[in-house]
Amino acid sequence: MRSSFVRLLCRMLVVCMVALPFQANAGLIGTDQVVTAEQALAARGMVSSVVSRADVASQLQSLGLSPETAKDRVAALSDAEVTKLAGQIQNLPAGADGGAILVLILIGVLIWYLVRK
Amino acid sequence: MCVLAAAAALSGCISLPQTEALSGHAPPGLPPRVELEKVPFFEQSDFMCGPASLAMVLNAAGRPASVESLEPQVYLPGRRGSLQAEMLGATRRAGLVAYTLEPKMEALMRELAAGRPAIVLLNLSFRLAPIWHYAVVIGYDTEGEKFIVRSGRKPRDEWSYPFLEYLWKDSGYWAMLALPPGVLPATAREAEFAAAVAALEQAGGKREARESYRALLERWPDSLVGLFGLGNTEYAAGNLAAAEDAFGRATRAHPDAAPAFNNLAQVLFERGRLADAETAARRAVELGGPTRGEASKTLEAILARKAPH
Repeated sequence: MRSSFVRLLCRMLVVCMVALPFQANAGLIGTDQVVTAEQALAARGMVSSVVSRADVASQLQSLGLSPETAKDRVAALSDAEVTKLAGQIQNLPAGADGGAILVLILIGVLIWYLVRK
Repeated sequence: MCVLAAAAALSGCISLPQTEALSGHAPPGLPPRVELEKVPFFEQSDFMCGPASLAMVLNAAGRPASVESLEPQVYLPGRRGSLQAEMLGATRRAGLVAYTLEPKMEALMRELAAGRPAIVLLNLSFRLAPIWHYAVVIGYDTEGEKFIVRSGRKPRDEWSYPFLEYLWKDSGYWAMLALPPGVLPATAREAEFAAAVAALEQAGGKREARESYRALLERWPDSLVGLFGLGNTEYAAGNLAAAEDAFGRATRAHPDAAPAFNNLAQVLFERGRLADAETAARRAVELGGPTRGEASKTLEAILARKAPH
């Protein structure tokens, strides 16, 4: 640990880990933490993902899910996915539709292309 | 439509690099044609391409599922669609490994050749005003230079390389597989697959994850995530001897991995081997790192048991 900032961060991390139900089994470190370390996410990333699960659940709720459903769905996400979703749900791709729209758009592209020439 | 896209590509107004690379150069070692006819078709209604695509690949992987059962797991009313991360999450809830492929047509083809259909994320519109859509790729034809898909209301459609690439580019060529437990993707990469199995474990599929960790370790015997995950999932299954073995292997293959020493210490402690547990716990504390707090707690618990007041 180099700087005092990093030391502070690590101390915060220890507090978070002790205070919150972080691992599935008593006394064992969860596999997700080893994955996080392997992916070289900063300590900051680990702390924020703990905070973010509740955040993301409430953001999903505001987009039309019940609290129970939102909680279940967040529980199925990895830490990295939760971190990425937090605050971004409105911007990320949401796959929706197909079929007729596609044809219309491609006709539009064709027309545009021909007009360009 | 295919001619249109090809013409557009050739004219240079749209660049399709993967099509260019594959044109006339089929990837080596692949059968020329694959079509996974057994992948069932689920027709989507408005906005339900997420649940429909998932239903197709989950059933193909042996898990019964329907658009109705999946809608509450992935459909987000406020976005009128399904997020990629939630597609992965719902796959895990079905007890399967959700694996994101390398962003390449060739990876897609290799997985198809191995019998795995893939969900792809497409933009049906322009980059500035995207309309996102999920479809399921079930086959390819290297001579006809096309893919076979189930999409929207069409159980079978053929898309040329340029057509697929044109639609697929904007998602960063995103594609995912739903894998049964214990199965490696044909194009498996160690770190990505390990993370995918760990995500299944975290989502609650510990039994299934255990099988997949074993498969991971057959291919990559020293994988830290694999050995650690195997230890944790054996522990969760009540197999302390197997957990000890896995964590022990992890500490030997990765002598600097503090979490491995911590978890080994915990298991030894529970098995009554206090001296060995103390050694491992002390090593975990010495190695420090972000999990040092947990290691200290483990050591304290061991010392307290050793010297009752």
